[in-house]
Amino acid sequence: MSVIKRNNVVTGGEGERTIVFSHGFGCDQNMWRLVAPDFLKDFRTVLFDHVGAGKSDLRSYDPEKYATLHGYADDLVEIGIALGLREATFVGHSVSAMIGVLASLKAPEMFGTLVLVGPSPRYIDDEGYQGGFSRTDIEELLASMADNHMGWSMAMAPAIMGNPDRPELGSELTDNFCRTDPAIAKAFARVTFTSDNRDDLSRVTARTLILQCRDDIIASEAVGEYVRVRVADSKLVMLDATGHCPNLSAPAEVIAAIRDFV
Amino acid sequence: MDNDIDFRDLFDNAPCGYLVLDGRGRISRVNVTLRAWLDRGEDEFIGKRLLDLLPVAGRVFYETHFAPLLRMQGYFHEVALDLVRADGTRLAVLANATQKMDVDGLALETRIAVFEATSRRRYERELSDANEAGDVARRQVESLNASLTEVGLLRDEFIAILGHDLRNPLASIGSGMRILSREVLSPRGQQVVGLIEGSVARMGKLINDVLDFTRGRLGGGLLVERRNESDLPAVLEQVVEELKSASGRMIDVDIDLPAPLFVDGGRIGQLVSNLLGNALTHGAEDKAVELIALQEKGDLVISVSNGGEPIPPETMPRLFQPFFRGDATFKREQGLGLGLHISSEIAKAHGGKLSASSSEEKTTFEFRMPTDTIFANPTHD
Repeated sequence: MSVIKRNNVVTGGEGERTIVFSHGFGCDQNMWRLVAPDFLKDFRTVLFDHVGAGKSDLRSYDPEKYATLHGYADDLVEIGIALGLREATFVGHSVSAMIGVLASLKAPEMFGTLVLVGPSPRYIDDEGYQGGFSRTDIEELLASMADNHMGWSMAMAPAIMGNPDRPELGSELTDNFCRTDPAIAKAFARVTFTSDNRDDLSRVTARTLILQCRDDIIASEAVGEYVRVRVADSKLVMLDATGHCPNLSAPAEVIAAIRDFV
Repeated sequence: MDNDIDFRDLFDNAPCGYLVLDGRGRISRVNVTLRAWLDRGEDEFIGKRLLDLLPVAGRVFYETHFAPLLRMQGYFHEVALDLVRADGTRLAVLANATQKMDVDGLALETRIAVFEATSRRRYERELSDANEAGDVARRQVESLNASLTEVGLLRDEFIAILGHDLRNPLASIGSGMRILSREVLSPRGQQVVGLIEGSVARMGKLINDVLDFTRGRLGGGLLVERRNESDLPAVLEQVVEELKSASGRMIDVDIDLPAPLFVDGGRIGQLVSNLLGNALTHGAEDKAVELIALQEKGDLVISVSNGGEPIPPETMPRLFQPFFRGDATFKREQGLGLGLHISSEIAKAHGGKLSASSSEEKTTFEFRMPTDTIFANPTHD
């Protein structure tokens, strides 16, 4: 299976420069549908689903490979190679911010610019570090995921496995939005919330923009600041948006901040 | 005015909880029902976020799943949440939400209806646990199946080795010896060829015993093909003649059987050969070995007796176990200790039984099978 099919890679736009959008835990490339279209006129845009999410190939899900964020970063590098990316801009939301960091370390020439939206190198508190969560919180999160997948799993399967064509924004999206296979979602949650990439930050050489929301319970301002201090060539922009998903709640602000930087 | 009061009451005392959030996602109204369910005053709601009512884990899930869903489609249905009461305990609920948007698609207000779901949640968790337990059990069965398949393959291979890989070269040695014995040989050469032929015969019998045992124990059971045997007495007499000439001893024979009998003649011959061989080996040389085959009260009975030392009572129960040997000292001619076991299996495969009795006077092995099974299948020919 080709990388393009495996990761449901969708390219668009005409520009000489390429911008890659990468979704985080809990959703798929739909997360960018209010942001990415703005870049079509002057960028080649690349959207994709991580394996296990959206319309990626679920049969390609290998629990061993995806037991760490490196499995996802390797996929991103493969996509970059398939598309011949050089000095591209990578925009990663939530856990994809760290996936982008890892990919830029694996293939430094691939991404010249990183835009990290709500990044966190580690979610669980540690000595001298406030990730925002205790280990118990995360265990509870993993356990409670089953509560909401209870009603989903059977009805969801056809939606996930089914139509390979991309539904356009509209009724098709309703109820299918960002639904994922429950078992894979749980594994992805575990990988995401138990990851620790603090030591990788200082090795980043790409120009880096950190977009920080107010009132983000998943990636706090202190964590955003932690990333800014450790990534050498980085800048932090504080958004007016609140919550963890400014790409949905304040797309215009996100677009403006990215454009300002690239 | 009355209408306003009615609707106010409908909001406050509805049989579900209500929350209204403003455009910034802050709680602007909460009904009495939800305040009572969570044991919180109005001031503990107003100005807070929905997130503030959730435990930490629920917040993460809400932010990564339901907030985007609400934003994209303007509503969500049947979302399972835990709300935290004033005392820290949790209330399992299902929530529906709808958003009122302005022309630009920005949320003006979000309305959330909350339904208690304590029993349902418990039931769902039990289902989920059962599912998980089922998965674990299924994986165990799969792994057992895999190892059984492996054992099965090993067994088949083992049987194949016994059946062909050992027997074929032995057959070559046997026919080589027959060719040599027709040549002109020195007396010493003749003696050696005779010894080798004896060894080939003995080894052939050992391999057959192990093959029978392996098939009986590991495979689908000892192979027994019963048919209407018209001349079982001839089969038995043939066996007696062979053993007489091999041992040079006398065997008293008394055969009185009807014909035909629904048995596997070859297997019955094998059984009798084993019993006679044992009797000749273990019985006193100066006492005659005796074979009796007759019909008694509708049973087919074949017994073999010898004199000499009786079998110690403590070893009697173990006689038919595989690899059992009567005495500790190894005698070459005694074999692997499979003969009685295989004979007993042959008896069982005929619906009968092999038993032993031993006294100072004589030791007797008796095969007995009911005749109602002897003619059980007259069409099987």
